[in-house]
Amino acid sequence: MKRFFYKSQQTAVGAVLLTVFLLLVMPESARARLKSAIGGLFLPLIGISTTGQVALESIGQLGATNSESSPTNQALGQAPASLSELQDEVDRLRSVNKHLSELLALEPLIPWETKLVRVVGRDPFNWWRRIKINLGSNKGIRFNQPVISAKGNLVGRVSEVGSLTSWVVLVGDPNCRFSALIKESRSQGGIVSPRQYSSDLRTVELTYLPNDVELRPGQAVVTSGLGGGFPKEIPVGQVVDSWVSKDGLYVEARIKLHANLNQLETVRVLTRY
Amino acid sequence: MTGRINKTLGLLIGAYLLVFLQSHWQGPRLWLGFQPDLTPALLVCAGLTLRAGHVSTSAMLTGLWLDSLSANPLGLSVLPLFIAGWAVFTFRDLIMRDELVAQFYLGTAAGAAVPLLQVWLLWLVGAAPLFGWEMGVWWLINALFCGVAVPVFARLAKLLDRWFSHPLHDPNRWPNENRQIVRGKH
Repeated sequence: MKRFFYKSQQTAVGAVLLTVFLLLVMPESARARLKSAIGGLFLPLIGISTTGQVALESIGQLGATNSESSPTNQALGQAPASLSELQDEVDRLRSVNKHLSELLALEPLIPWETKLVRVVGRDPFNWWRRIKINLGSNKGIRFNQPVISAKGNLVGRVSEVGSLTSWVVLVGDPNCRFSALIKESRSQGGIVSPRQYSSDLRTVELTYLPNDVELRPGQAVVTSGLGGGFPKEIPVGQVVDSWVSKDGLYVEARIKLHANLNQLETVRVLTRY
Repeated sequence: MTGRINKTLGLLIGAYLLVFLQSHWQGPRLWLGFQPDLTPALLVCAGLTLRAGHVSTSAMLTGLWLDSLSANPLGLSVLPLFIAGWAVFTFRDLIMRDELVAQFYLGTAAGAAVPLLQVWLLWLVGAAPLFGWEMGVWWLINALFCGVAVPVFARLAKLLDRWFSHPLHDPNRWPNENRQIVRGKH
């Protein structure tokens, strides 16, 4: 322990403690700005990784184009691509085409004005459920805007907005609570995050339902529009099971979300609703 | 000195990339069901090889980077990471720090202690994240991952050090290639 009292070591310990103390006493707004600025240090890497993905995709497309011109290549005496390779490429393009067609087909079915954004990151800590999207205030993203999946199911809301990227807090996080109802019976309730951590991100709990509500597995749950945070009738999920609360005052239900929060690649931010 | 600066730079670049990967690479989350956090292993490596100032700098920057990409209050991760690195630094002369097993145990201990300290601090500042018994499983697996990561990081650091530093002059080393007089026929 004698080493502890060496001067340089005192300075090192003091610097850490001072930093932590300053960060704790710093006003909330200044801390948020600092956090955003430090997070901005990762923008070059995000840019590189996004560009890399795009480049890989375009290489794939180029490969597809080359394989289309294979008769010419054959005529020039080059070896043709094997049939299985071509088949793989056709399958890949077919799935991409299907995904894009689905997105395009769904666009008119969503009654709100939306912006399609790409998911570029997630909260590194397992006790929070947040995703990072590739648009920020420069593209009109605002605090608290609802976020839905590409197919139109509820995903969460915008919780932090930077100039180039934003954070979305997912349904199931303790910081994302909102009013929802059983579509069939119109019983009001509030979706809360699971009481306990679960690795299954698709399960949340709906509480404060009246005791006389009739719940059956498979019933649809939608947002109620109360509170103004989310517009009415965004599909949330379906009832799995239900029970009366411990104090007997209300009914609780387990809901399976429609959106697969583990595999979000593109989401829609509601810009006008 | 140059060697130490190189090591610190290497460690900071490694921490920067590691934090980015933990936030932006979804593979582990999809395979394991949780995102492993290997930053405690990095701080153990810093504690094993670097000086006090470098350990505190690494803890501060890694903690701030982690928190900037998370919903944790900014600065919350600094103290747990610093404690892990500092504990190793303080007692490193008493342990066989070059031994693989010792590194594994240190990494496992740090990997187990750091999340607990983070959760305790979160509870102190009044944040309400998700907790549950299921977290115990990933806490244990994450600690083991950190245990495995320490020897890997240590060997990687040595390799980088060898690539980017001049070898230290050792007059007792023989044959000394710098000083050896190679005699020819004449």
